[in-house]
Amino acid sequence: MNRSSKILRYVSRRLIQGIPIILAIVVLNFFLLNLAEGDAVDVLAGEAGSATPEYMEEMRKKFGLDKPLAVQLAVYLKNVIQLDLGYSFRHDMQVTELIIDRFWPTLILMVSTILLAVGFGILLGLFAAINLNTWKDSVVSVFALITYATPLFWVGLMMIILFSIKNDWFPTSGMENSAMFYEGFERVKDIAHHLVLPTITLSLFYLALYTRMMRASMLEQYGQDYVITARAKGVSERRITFVHVLRNALLPVVTMAGVQVGALIGGSVIVESVFAWPGLGMLAFESLFARDLNLLLGIFLLSSALVVAVNLVVDVVYCFLDPRIEVN
Amino acid sequence: MTLNSFIKGALSAAAITMAGSFAYAQQAGGSLVFLVQPEPPTMAGYVSTSGPIGLLGPKIYDGLVDYDNDGKMVPMLAESVDVSADGKTITFNLRKGVTWHDGEAFTSEDVQFTIMDVLKKVHPRGPNSFKEVSSIDTPDDHTAVFNLDNPAPYMLRALSSYESPMVPKHHLEGQDVKTAKLANNPIGTGPFKFVEWKKGQYMRLDKNENYWREGRPYLDRIVGRFVPDASTRAAAMEKGEVLYAAYNAVSNVEAVRLNKEKDNIGLTTDGYSMINPMALIEFNTKEGPFTDAAVRRAISTAIDRQYMIDTIFFGYGKPATSALSSNFSATGLHAEMPNYPANGDVAAANKILDDAGYSKDANGVRMKATFDLIPYGEDWKRGGQYIQQVLGEIGIKVDLRYEDVPTWLKRIYHNYDFEMNLNYFYQLSDPVLGVHRHYGTNMIRKGTHFVNSSRYSNAELDALLSAGMTTPDATKRAEIYLDIQKILANDMPVVNLFELEFLVVYNTKLKGAYGSAMGAYASFGDAYLD
Repeated sequence: MNRSSKILRYVSRRLIQGIPIILAIVVLNFFLLNLAEGDAVDVLAGEAGSATPEYMEEMRKKFGLDKPLAVQLAVYLKNVIQLDLGYSFRHDMQVTELIIDRFWPTLILMVSTILLAVGFGILLGLFAAINLNTWKDSVVSVFALITYATPLFWVGLMMIILFSIKNDWFPTSGMENSAMFYEGFERVKDIAHHLVLPTITLSLFYLALYTRMMRASMLEQYGQDYVITARAKGVSERRITFVHVLRNALLPVVTMAGVQVGALIGGSVIVESVFAWPGLGMLAFESLFARDLNLLLGIFLLSSALVVAVNLVVDVVYCFLDPRIEVN
Repeated sequence: MTLNSFIKGALSAAAITMAGSFAYAQQAGGSLVFLVQPEPPTMAGYVSTSGPIGLLGPKIYDGLVDYDNDGKMVPMLAESVDVSADGKTITFNLRKGVTWHDGEAFTSEDVQFTIMDVLKKVHPRGPNSFKEVSSIDTPDDHTAVFNLDNPAPYMLRALSSYESPMVPKHHLEGQDVKTAKLANNPIGTGPFKFVEWKKGQYMRLDKNENYWREGRPYLDRIVGRFVPDASTRAAAMEKGEVLYAAYNAVSNVEAVRLNKEKDNIGLTTDGYSMINPMALIEFNTKEGPFTDAAVRRAISTAIDRQYMIDTIFFGYGKPATSALSSNFSATGLHAEMPNYPANGDVAAANKILDDAGYSKDANGVRMKATFDLIPYGEDWKRGGQYIQQVLGEIGIKVDLRYEDVPTWLKRIYHNYDFEMNLNYFYQLSDPVLGVHRHYGTNMIRKGTHFVNSSRYSNAELDALLSAGMTTPDATKRAEIYLDIQKILANDMPVVNLFELEFLVVYNTKLKGAYGSAMGAYASFGDAYLD
């Protein structure tokens, strides 16, 4: 059997295995979320100031919240299998529509953050490893330690004060200029301009992680036999570092990046909140307090599916990075 | 002067003021970006009175009238109002040539439908405001005659675009009003048209070119921005990205700082008189340690209201002096009562408890209780901590409890599983609308939020409340409310703490946004950028 058809079979098998995992997550989430006191009707009625008990009863009936939990779960699962994520009564919109609307901002922030964090992390780690135990190495290590230990919301606010209020370089928050409403290419530029501060803030945290990892991984590879062999053959240090060691050292970093894609969806709540970035994290956060369970379950479903998918992609990428690894 | 001619006079005076304002040179054009916090759940202001809906809805929908800063009516969709001598027939003469944003004509049918089929049925406060309206006649397209079972003077104070927006019959008729598509695609007669709602970002409203007021609105566009983080909101205000923020969207501490540091940022407490927020403590009068009115009086006596205002709310607030807000002085209803000392009197409070026979144990504790706090932010937590200290001084040991909104609502208004609760209520533009719900026996409604959770029931008070509802004569009404305030100052099922003064923070570039008593809940038709 050739390699590509092997990979194809592996992927489809993993995908089928993913379905029961995702369903189990849905069921677990459903019960967990229902443990919380109060429901969507309470919140809606509370915000409205006052509402009659009859009105609230009627709303519960309409939302299907008057039925026993098991029935509610069965109805939900039936809908999910038909790819219908239900209706958000709070937003008066289809959950799918709401989620897709917020998925693109999350994706933009996620991709730019990973690129920046992984890219600079690799460079810094490499730089530190080459200059092992010199002041350059120490500077990188201290920098990584500080960025890792600083709370994200604080970094975000300092960014706003420094680069938005003291120096008028970037907008404080939002995804686009809501006084101008640019269109076409101008809009792309505008969004990119708004993206800078949140991306830097979120990357700083992950950057530290990749820097440390890359440095350690490089050092480990330097100690391997093949490096000694290369030196004995008279290969230049430059070539050893950039051609042999670097490629091997990348493997754990890629693994880590894959794992963190899932975490990034939820982990960006703070950055989304500080910069008013309209992503999924904030949506999940708000719907928790509004007891908008349909929406919350939809977001969880999407992120669990995403984690399953990204892990699969990482596994496949392995065998291209290191031909010795085989899927089976 | 009869009520009728009074109203006519008020309307024509306001019309003259409005005409006069044309003389100034206002600039047309520009975008107003302002803060809306939190993001509204829907735009159905006719179903929900949720605060953030009020910030955007009245820009899209008009009411029959508006109110100026003195509480006088200003004509909007109704050009004039006639009240019959017995107060049971109220005729609204509607403006001609008004169209909905979709081009359809606005008629008396819309008014009839809005009141009878929408507000009276599904609005949280509508059934109360329009309780006496039995039918509405529409003799022609521009006349709506309200037939009332009893006089309802308070109704005329509930007709603003925030409280009672006029909605298009042709978009709601024959549908379930609560789920109609109008909720997310509002179509009104107001100065701005709904364009787009980007969830989590902003709502965009553009100028209504066919607005019935000549030359208005001045602005080309209004954008409400949703920024979840309080510090970022302040930064956006400081930078001038947003020009207006109300209802604590920018916290008092930041507002005071910005006002001091920046020449172009101003503050005002105007624009909340129709809302009338009152901070208070609700007591469980049926079970637990606070069934005795003497204990509740002692608590009211001990608390230093001025101290709370000065240290927690940066001086913005006014000590309560009765069950009614002092804003009701304008209509002659408010009277100062004993048992509400502004600076607190711990010794007197201790004496009340001693006299009532509650003695201290070896640790100086007379009784223990749990104190629930309204989960609306840090200020309320600090308020709770202060009250905890003061009550400790009079031998009442309380533990604080701070939960999330749904859990808290359920505890207080469904399960009555509380002893005392820190809260605030909107007293609104008339006690019938905002205060009665707190005390009437008919307002003990399990599962309904922000009503009589104390389960206080007093037949004498109930009789006075219903008299207050149906008495149109101002002097007689004042006497009725004097008696009501006396009873409540003695029984204190609820201890009023202070009248909250919310701030409006604005960039001085924005002008003309402050003339309505509705403040941030107004239409902004007169707002312009300098």
